[in-house]
Amino acid sequence: MGFWLELAATGLITGGIYAVVAIGLNLQYGLMRIMNISHGEFLMLGAYFTWLAHTVLKVNPLVFVPVVAFVLFVLGLVVYRLCFRRIARTSPSVDVIEARSLLVSFGLMFLVQNAAYLAWGADLRGYSFLDQTVEVGSARFTANRLVVFAFALGASLVLIGILRYTLIGKAVRAMMQSPTGAQLVGIDTAVLHPTVFGAGLALAGVAGALLSMVYEISPAMGEPYTVTALIVITLGGLGSTVGALLGGLLLGVVEAFGMHFTSPSLKMLLSYGVFIAVLLARPKGLFAR
Amino acid sequence: MKLTALLTRIAAAAVAAAVLAPAFAQAPVKIGYAIARTGPWAAGAQVTQEPNYIMWAEQVNARGGLNVKGVKRKIELIGLDDRSDTETVVRSYEKLMGSDKVDLILPPWSTGANFAMMPLAQKYGYPMLSPTATGRKLLGMKNPYFFALLQQPDLMMDALAEYLVARSAKTAAVVYVDELFGLEQLDGLERALKAKGIQIVEKKSYPLGVKDLQPVLNDIKAKNPDAFIALSYPPDTFLITAQSKAIGFNPKLFYTAVGTAFPVYRDKFGPTAEGVMGLGTWNPRTSPAAKAYFDAHVARWKKEPDRWASAHAWAGLQILEQAVAKAGLDRKVLRDTIANGEFDTIIGKIRFKNGENVSTPGVVSQWQGGEFEVVWPPDRSTSAALYPKQPWK
Repeated sequence: MGFWLELAATGLITGGIYAVVAIGLNLQYGLMRIMNISHGEFLMLGAYFTWLAHTVLKVNPLVFVPVVAFVLFVLGLVVYRLCFRRIARTSPSVDVIEARSLLVSFGLMFLVQNAAYLAWGADLRGYSFLDQTVEVGSARFTANRLVVFAFALGASLVLIGILRYTLIGKAVRAMMQSPTGAQLVGIDTAVLHPTVFGAGLALAGVAGALLSMVYEISPAMGEPYTVTALIVITLGGLGSTVGALLGGLLLGVVEAFGMHFTSPSLKMLLSYGVFIAVLLARPKGLFAR
Repeated sequence: MKLTALLTRIAAAAVAAAVLAPAFAQAPVKIGYAIARTGPWAAGAQVTQEPNYIMWAEQVNARGGLNVKGVKRKIELIGLDDRSDTETVVRSYEKLMGSDKVDLILPPWSTGANFAMMPLAQKYGYPMLSPTATGRKLLGMKNPYFFALLQQPDLMMDALAEYLVARSAKTAAVVYVDELFGLEQLDGLERALKAKGIQIVEKKSYPLGVKDLQPVLNDIKAKNPDAFIALSYPPDTFLITAQSKAIGFNPKLFYTAVGTAFPVYRDKFGPTAEGVMGLGTWNPRTSPAAKAYFDAHVARWKKEPDRWASAHAWAGLQILEQAVAKAGLDRKVLRDTIANGEFDTIIGKIRFKNGENVSTPGVVSQWQGGEFEVVWPPDRSTSAALYPKQPWK
């Protein structure tokens, strides 16, 4: 019994991390059609900022998470102003936004990644934080993984709450359904657009900060997360935050059980297997309306 | 003086200058290589390999240049980023040897990358002394220009098996990374353990970049093997250590492969690293020359070299330097000189037989009080082994 509990829990923990990364990307792509392929690079920046703060300034990484979120949010506003504002304004349709932003963010990916190589070199970096063992029932985990899971779940739920139950959330959803209609009813899209983009990057930063507590970091760490996040948001349904959360958790659990019953080498096969199965059954994703 | 005579003299002087100039200002020796500065291989390549290339060129130039059969010529390094991409490795070397026509090459990082570009080195006739390529499959290609500096997997795994027998271990569990490196090591390990009568109770592979191995480690913990051997690459080495500690999996012998010898392993885990074993060859106490290399590396890069292949990389450069002094830059002669000579290096004398370093024995190393001590075989050891491993701290 304890064994199965542990297996399910490890899956949920991995899934929780997938979910935070995916929700950030979903804000940009699912809601705004900005195909930000450099999402993972900002995750990497968040991880490096946290590592620096912890190793140089001796700041507790958990305390630093809100700081990373704020810094990345501001950075998001700047990036939006420099790279995506023009695209969002001049593109005749959302499909064009998608194609153009894909190209721009592809360049951004190389820029950010290579800036990190210049600044910090290619070495693996890491620190130990909360690595003592915690026993829950008969299952054992490192404390940092549980903390990461709690933060990931918390951040996702708060965001879902904001989008569902507040006026701002309503405005964001309205803007996504019809940008022109939203403007007509008095929603300031010129403010809201960059804010949502910034929130997406802030989430990437939070995910990076959390990951740095568990894994070693390097400038190349971001790309695989971008790919996983793309799978998760397609799985959950574009634009559905609940879908991204549940999709992330599902993928994590399937991987954990799959690794137990088959071999970890088949992990990719399992992820894509789930992905294809869901798309066959529900082509628009699990939670698309 | 007549104008024509003056012109003739000037022309003669110019010709003489053009002919004699190289004797005074030697053209530099161009040495090319491609290595990972970005992408997933960079973490290993930038610890073990490229810092050594650059430091070597700097040191040689500070001494007045590379001794080419008695003539000192400056080294000009031409380093390219292979972006951790095998195709880019091959294309870069094709360019360096085929169109740039560099004088010498240095090898890329990793077993896979070396395997991919070896045939090109043979085609263009460039000897390569590889510090991070290991596998019988590579030597099996019988490439006369390829020289492997690292101990082959069977040597390393034989040493490990001998050590296990000496401690009367009976069972072992293995995980290995799904790359040429992991497969080659596994092959060596399975043979070695079989020969020594040690039973493998569990064997699982995983992909590079895996993020969670706790389910696998739990399965293995339930089987309670005497020894746990992970034929792993750097990021997974860290993951496996952290998760084994988390679930309280503490076998008598805990062994992880590449990355264990990296200083960052000790820096990250602190006392947790105590007693962990892995692939290594040396440490600063191995010899005065090794200590001098270690100190120079720390002074130049503000970081320590790793305790396995870094020293092999340096040894390779020492061999190249000695061979060039003897044979010059005729690469055919240079190859024969390397193949038939014996060379002094920081890891002892090295001689090659069919491209294999037959002088450096397989060893087992272990973290003890912040140093990666060599603990097996007895005649190479710098410290006595801790066995069984103490509980995780």
